[in-house]
Amino acid sequence: MAETMPDTLIGAMAPPVIRSGPAAWLRKHFFATWYDAVFSVLFAVLIVWVLQALLQWTVIDAIWRVENRDLCTREAGACWAVIESRGRLILFGLYPFDEQWRSTLACLAIIVTIALSCLPAFWSFKRLPALWIAGFGIFVLLMRGGFAGLPLVTSEQWGGLSLTLFIFSGVVVIGMPLAVLFALARRSSLPVIAKSFGFFIDIVRSLPLLALLFAAAVVVPLLLPDALAGNKLMRVVVAFAIFFAAYQAEIIRAGLQSIPNGQGEAAVALGMPYWSRVIDILLPQAFRNTLPSTINQAVITFKETSIVTIIGFFEVMASGNAAIGNGEWGNQYVEVYVFLALIYFVFVFGLSRYGAWLEQRMRLGHD
Amino acid sequence: MKNTFIGLATAALVALTGASTAQAQGQGLLDTIITRDSLLCTGHNGSYLGFAEVDAAGAWQGFDIEFCKALATAILGSPNKLQVIPVSWAQRFPALQSGDVDVIVKVTGWTQTRDTELGLQYSRPYFIGPFYVMAKKELGATGIADLEGGVFCVNAGTTVERVLTDYMASKGIQYESLAFEKGEELRSALYAGRCDAIAGFGPFLSATRVEAPDPEAYQILGDVLALEPEGIVVRQGEDDLLDVINWTVSALLMAEESGITQANVDEIKANPPSPTIARLLGVTPGVGTRLGISDDFAYNVIKAVGNYGEIYDRTVGDGSRYKLPRGLNNLWNQGGLLYPLVLD
Repeated sequence: MAETMPDTLIGAMAPPVIRSGPAAWLRKHFFATWYDAVFSVLFAVLIVWVLQALLQWTVIDAIWRVENRDLCTREAGACWAVIESRGRLILFGLYPFDEQWRSTLACLAIIVTIALSCLPAFWSFKRLPALWIAGFGIFVLLMRGGFAGLPLVTSEQWGGLSLTLFIFSGVVVIGMPLAVLFALARRSSLPVIAKSFGFFIDIVRSLPLLALLFAAAVVVPLLLPDALAGNKLMRVVVAFAIFFAAYQAEIIRAGLQSIPNGQGEAAVALGMPYWSRVIDILLPQAFRNTLPSTINQAVITFKETSIVTIIGFFEVMASGNAAIGNGEWGNQYVEVYVFLALIYFVFVFGLSRYGAWLEQRMRLGHD
Repeated sequence: MKNTFIGLATAALVALTGASTAQAQGQGLLDTIITRDSLLCTGHNGSYLGFAEVDAAGAWQGFDIEFCKALATAILGSPNKLQVIPVSWAQRFPALQSGDVDVIVKVTGWTQTRDTELGLQYSRPYFIGPFYVMAKKELGATGIADLEGGVFCVNAGTTVERVLTDYMASKGIQYESLAFEKGEELRSALYAGRCDAIAGFGPFLSATRVEAPDPEAYQILGDVLALEPEGIVVRQGEDDLLDVINWTVSALLMAEESGITQANVDEIKANPPSPTIARLLGVTPGVGTRLGISDDFAYNVIKAVGNYGEIYDRTVGDGSRYKLPRGLNNLWNQGGLLYPLVLD
C-alpha cells in the first residue's frame, strides 16, 4: 500500500472563491464592471432622491387637517386636508348628504357581488344570474329608496364610487352575454346572420364611445315615446354595454377560432346538439384562451367609465373635478388626482391580480 | 360661455331635434312647471368656479344656482322646489330641447346662431361676462398696450384665445401666445413665472389670483378684451316662461336699486315707501297675476335669495373667495350696465 503513495503532494489548488452571500451577489449584479458600478451608483442615488422627495411631500411635510388649511401653500407638502374636507363629495358625488350611508352599503353590495362572482363556486348558469340579479336589486333598492321611510333618490343624484362601480358592473354583466351572442352570430353558418352581425360590430366599433353615449342620453328620448325611453342611466349603461360587447365579441371570436375544427366536428359526430357544443366545448376553451385580452378589456372599460361625466353623471372622476372646482380647494388638484388614482389603482390592480390567479388556476401557458 | 367641446355635434343634434320640440308645446312650459311643482335647472358636470359649485355636502352653490333658486321661488314659491340637473357645456342645448331641463342658467353667451338656428330664446342679460388680462404687478403695466412683446398664456381652443387674438390684432400689439389645455396647467405656468400675463373670463382670473402663492403679485388690468352678455335660455316659443324670467331678474335689480334686502324686506313690505315698491312686493296686487304667478313673487324671491347685489356679493363678489369687482355688473347709477324695467 505504501508504495502507491506519491512521495510528494501534487501542488494544492487554492480553495474555490465563495460566490455566495450578499457581497458576492451585489458584486455580480451591480459592480461586475466599472461601467456597471457607475450606473448602479447613479441610479441608487436617483432612486433614493426620488423616494425621499416623495416621502417628504406625501408624509413629512403634508398637511392633514382642515383646521390647518391656511398652511397649504405651494411650498408645503401634500395638502391632504382637501380629502378630509371634500372626500365625501369625491366618494358620493351629489348623493344627499344624510343618506350617504345607503350609498356606502350599495357600494359594498356591488363589491361583494363582484367578489363572489369571481369565485369558481358561482360559475353556473343558475347561480351567476341569480347572484347578479340579487346584487343589482339590493344596489338599486338602497340607492333609490322610496320605501320603508327611505327618501327617494333619483338616479340623477347618484354619484361617486358607487356609480362608477354600478356602471362598470352593469356594462360587463350585460355586455358579456351580448358579446358571446355577437361572436356566435358572426360565426354563424347562415350568411345573412354572419354578415349582418359582422357589419353591426364594425359599425359600433367605428363610432366613438362618446358619440354613442351622447346619443343614448340625448337623442333616444326624442325619438322614442317616454315609456320606451326608460331612464337616462339605464340607456347609458345599455349603450355602453353594446360598445363593450362589440369589442369583446371579437376577442371571443378569436378564442373560438383558436379551437381546432376537429373538436366541433367530433362533437357533431357524437350527436351533441348545438348549444351543448357551444356551452360545454367551445366557450370554456374560448374564454380560457382569451383570458388575458378579456381582463385587458375589463380594465379598459373600468377606466372608460369616467367618460359618462360628459352627459352629466357624477361618477368618481367628475366628483373629484367638482371637489377642486371651487375657490377654496382649486389648487389642491394634485392631491385629489392622487387620491383618485389610488381608488382606480385598487380596483384595476385587484382585477389584474385576479386575472393572474385565474391564469395560474387554469394553468394557462403551461401546455 | 366657452368650451366648444363637441360643439358641432351639439349643433347637429339640436338641429335634428328641432322638429320634435313642437310636440311638447300643447301646454306652455310655465304651466307644466307649475303642475309638476318643481323647476328643472342646469348644474354643471363638476364645478364651475363661483357659478355652479358643489359644496362638501354635495349641495349646489353659486351665482347661476342662485338664479335657479330665484326662478323656482318666483314660479313655485320656494327655493326648495328646484331640481338641479348636472349637464356639461356640450349637453346644455340638447338637454333643453329634449326637456331634461326647463331653463339654462349656465353663463351662456347671447350669440346670433344660438338665438336663431338653434331655436333658443334669451332673457335679458343677468350677467355681463368680461374678458380681462391679468398681469404680473412687477411689470408695472397700466393697460394691455404696456405688455407689448410679452408672453400671454391662455386656455387652448376656447373663446378666450379668439378674443385675445382679435383684440391684439385690432390694436396692433405684438405678443407671444402660450396655450394650455387645462385651467390647472395654465395656473401652474403663471405661478411658475412662464407667463407675463394671462387672459381669461373675469371670474376665472379672480380665482387664479386669489389662489396664487402671493395674490399681491398679480393685477387684473382695466382694459376689457371683449364682453359676453350672459342670458337665461329657454326654448323658442316659451314666451310666458321668458316673461317670468325677465321680470324676476328685473325685480332683483329693482330691489337693489331701492335698497330692499333679504333682511329688511318684511319691514319694507309692511310699510312700502312708494307705490312702485308696493306693487313690486305685492302689497298692491297685479304684477304677479299678469305673469301667471303669485302677486308676491318678488317678495318671496328677495326673502329667499336677497337682491341682485346680495347674490353677487355672496357667490362671486367681496363676500366670496373670488372677490370679483362688480364693474359692469353694477347698477346703472353705480357705473354699471344693469337696470330694472319699469313696473307700472
